[in-house]
Amino acid sequence: MCKSDRKTKRNTTGFLFKSCLILLLPVSTFAASELEVLKLEVEQLKKDVKQAKEWSNPNSLIHMAGYADVGYISDDNPATEDSFSVGTFAPIFHYQYRDLVMLESELEIELAEDGSTEIKLEYLTIDWMINDYAVLVAGQFLSPIGNFRQNLHPSWINKLPSAPPGFGHDGAAPVSDLGVQLRGGFYLGDMKANYSLYVGNGPEVKAEIEDDGLGGIDEIEFDGVDAEAFGADADGDKVFGGRLGLFPLKSLEVGVSFLSGDATVTEYEGGDPTGGSAPSLDGISGSAYDVIGVDISYQRKAVDLRYEYVATEMSAITIGGFDLQAAEWTTWYAQGAYRFLPSKYEAVIRVSEFDSPHDSNDQEQLALGINYLFSNNFIGKLGFESNDNPNVGQTAYDRWMLQLAYGF
Amino acid sequence: MKHLFIRKRLSFVAGIFLCTGLSMTHAADFPEKGDFVKGAKAWADNCTRCHNLRDPKELRDDQWITTTFHMRVRGGLTGQETRDILTFLQQSN
Repeated sequence: MCKSDRKTKRNTTGFLFKSCLILLLPVSTFAASELEVLKLEVEQLKKDVKQAKEWSNPNSLIHMAGYADVGYISDDNPATEDSFSVGTFAPIFHYQYRDLVMLESELEIELAEDGSTEIKLEYLTIDWMINDYAVLVAGQFLSPIGNFRQNLHPSWINKLPSAPPGFGHDGAAPVSDLGVQLRGGFYLGDMKANYSLYVGNGPEVKAEIEDDGLGGIDEIEFDGVDAEAFGADADGDKVFGGRLGLFPLKSLEVGVSFLSGDATVTEYEGGDPTGGSAPSLDGISGSAYDVIGVDISYQRKAVDLRYEYVATEMSAITIGGFDLQAAEWTTWYAQGAYRFLPSKYEAVIRVSEFDSPHDSNDQEQLALGINYLFSNNFIGKLGFESNDNPNVGQTAYDRWMLQLAYGF
Repeated sequence: MKHLFIRKRLSFVAGIFLCTGLSMTHAADFPEKGDFVKGAKAWADNCTRCHNLRDPKELRDDQWITTTFHMRVRGGLTGQETRDILTFLQQSN
């Protein structure tokens, strides 16, 4: 290699070295800035993780559950037209502090025929978990009398699109009450049992005036018992009741219920047709109000069988010299369902009868249904009802119902 | 390459942190842990008394707490049955 070649090589090396320095300088600067960015990102992630950890072990939990249903009803009752319907949207709110207390509330939101929205408080309770065998439930609760109202009425649970006659809001079975309830489960040896005991405001009673056609009163009779929770006790009389459920077999539950107290007429249904001669209801005494119920349920594999009976009685009473005769409302249903496993189809049959002091309200019903379980909490139902009133001069009608019910 | 490696490693560590944080989001320290096997049996025996069985995967761990306590009140479960069922559901979702 000659001298000029060595010089050329040194120049080339120097050039390359300088070039590398020029090139690496911004690279190292870039790397330093990227590290800063990474550090910031890590700091932010640490903050996020710390924030997330704040919720990792909360003492309070919030959860919303509930159910809703929509459908279509077609019947041959001349008084009604076939129509699509929104049954009920019933959100349930749960707020819980550890395993000590839970607040539960369900709203019942319905679309009225005139398009307006109706909102009712289905229940609102504060549940104090006293120990493993007792929960104190205070507030407005679903009636523990029987099984349908407290456990089976949500549309995603009820295997037919409708409630059995007499188990709705104007029936023989109490719907809800406002008071204090103690409930829970325990074992009698190997036999499981559950119980509920409560004291509540009780129902309000309505009477109806029959005019004599001459502007006077022919008679006064009990019209109905509004056995729903009222925000205030209009008559001051409390009721006491409860239910005991026993499991003689693992898949068989037998429940007995009772409710007793005094209930007072607080209102004339339909007002006073005589224009002011109706006896005042102020200060009248209450009459004995008693409810008894029996419910039996059996589930095994694809079979689900249920029976329930409820009777409500009002004893005789005198209002303003008019004797109101004792009255009784009774209702029962027997229901069988069979799931065609492994398919998603289910067949249902229900026979029921509601008897009231007013012939026009009596109802005998045969209901049939085919359900398709898209999932265990999303159910399509096709139901048929044959409704009859055994009393002379009363109308009978059939009804078809389609329903989509979703429990969430 | 080195920075890419650092970045990946940091991301991995951060991911672990986040995953741990998120998984702990629903790991409340109450109630006491129940018995998984007894819970599975109690779940099958009790829930179908009224309604179709709900898939354990439907809800998160914290949602199962409120749901099982709701069902304790509604279904007349004992406290121990509630804890057993909850343990089964939380470990099955």
